[in-house]
Amino acid sequence: MANPIKIIKNGIIDENPTFVQVIGMCPTLAVTSSAINGIGMGLSTMAVLVFANLFVSLLRKAIPDTVRIPCFIVVIASFTTIVEFLLKAYLPALNASLGLYIPLIVVNCILLARAESFASKNGPVASIFDGIGMGLGFTIALTVIGLIREFIGAGTLFDMTVLPEAFPRTLLFVMAPGAFFTLACLMALLNYFKNKKNA
Amino acid sequence: MNTKEIVRPAIVLLLIAGIAGGCLGAVSAITEAPIAAQEEKTLNESLQAVMPEATSFEELTDVEKTGTISGVYLADNGGYVITTEPGGFSGAVSTMVGIDTEGVITGLRVTSHSETPGLGAKATDPSFYEQFTGKSGSVAVTKDGGEIVSITSSTITSRAVCSGAQEALDWFAANGGAN
Repeated sequence: MANPIKIIKNGIIDENPTFVQVIGMCPTLAVTSSAINGIGMGLSTMAVLVFANLFVSLLRKAIPDTVRIPCFIVVIASFTTIVEFLLKAYLPALNASLGLYIPLIVVNCILLARAESFASKNGPVASIFDGIGMGLGFTIALTVIGLIREFIGAGTLFDMTVLPEAFPRTLLFVMAPGAFFTLACLMALLNYFKNKKNA
Repeated sequence: MNTKEIVRPAIVLLLIAGIAGGCLGAVSAITEAPIAAQEEKTLNESLQAVMPEATSFEELTDVEKTGTISGVYLADNGGYVITTEPGGFSGAVSTMVGIDTEGVITGLRVTSHSETPGLGAKATDPSFYEQFTGKSGSVAVTKDGGEIVSITSSTITSRAVCSGAQEALDWFAANGGAN
């Protein structure tokens, strides 16, 4: 078993779900109109990912290869729905801020990708750390995209106004095209540095 | 492929789906009552926000709902709270309007919407919705000759909220004295 720190670093940097694997694009583009939204989506996904990875890892020997994908989906969807029920019933304040993201997690392919490529091949402890690493990588990516978009588009950072009122806002950045622009520029920048380092 | 290769995966999948279904059912049964209680609490809080003077509300189910009106609540002080779903820039903008016995708006809130963040989404800012408090008769944005100052670059959203408020006022004018 690889050491936990290495697994976490792998999720944040080497195999960052957003910038390197380029998976889970739907929530990435849709919810990052502000940094707060990015953090909310990222952390909710991380919580579900950790437990989904744990369950899939525990069940990995019982699940036959031929039906593993439907089994993973059933596990992930059930777990997410249970989290949604519990949040609604017992943590209404948290639900008010995160409730929006929970149904989006079910369709997030990061969960299925990690179940398939990591949790189904590794032990429960390593799978938990993989969930934390991938979750953090996703959270950081969404937060950075959110910060850039809300700064350029609305002149705010974490909902606090930082640009003077007179400074023109590029509203396009809080709308859908801004998500693509920001993501593309960030990926280009990261690849530039990666190439430079490897050269 | 022999029978064993077909039967075993099917049984495992059936078991996992069955257990997952059972768990979901159990959690749903346990959380049903608390969730309903929470939803009622949230509803009461927003009703209270648009009509601070009332203490309890009763939903009226046997009233005629015109236009996009989705709910009518009678407050213990005789006022009404009316929820409407006018169409905004991207989908319905759920608006809740409190109207007192004199036909004056006691408060307005946008309870849910899918308007553009940074633009139409500002309909949930107090600086916008508080403009409606104290208005009666007819409401419209300044562009349409009214008194409501539109959200910058979001006339469509502003108009939607106005039309929601207007529907509520019209409903009150037509049915308000009935009870």
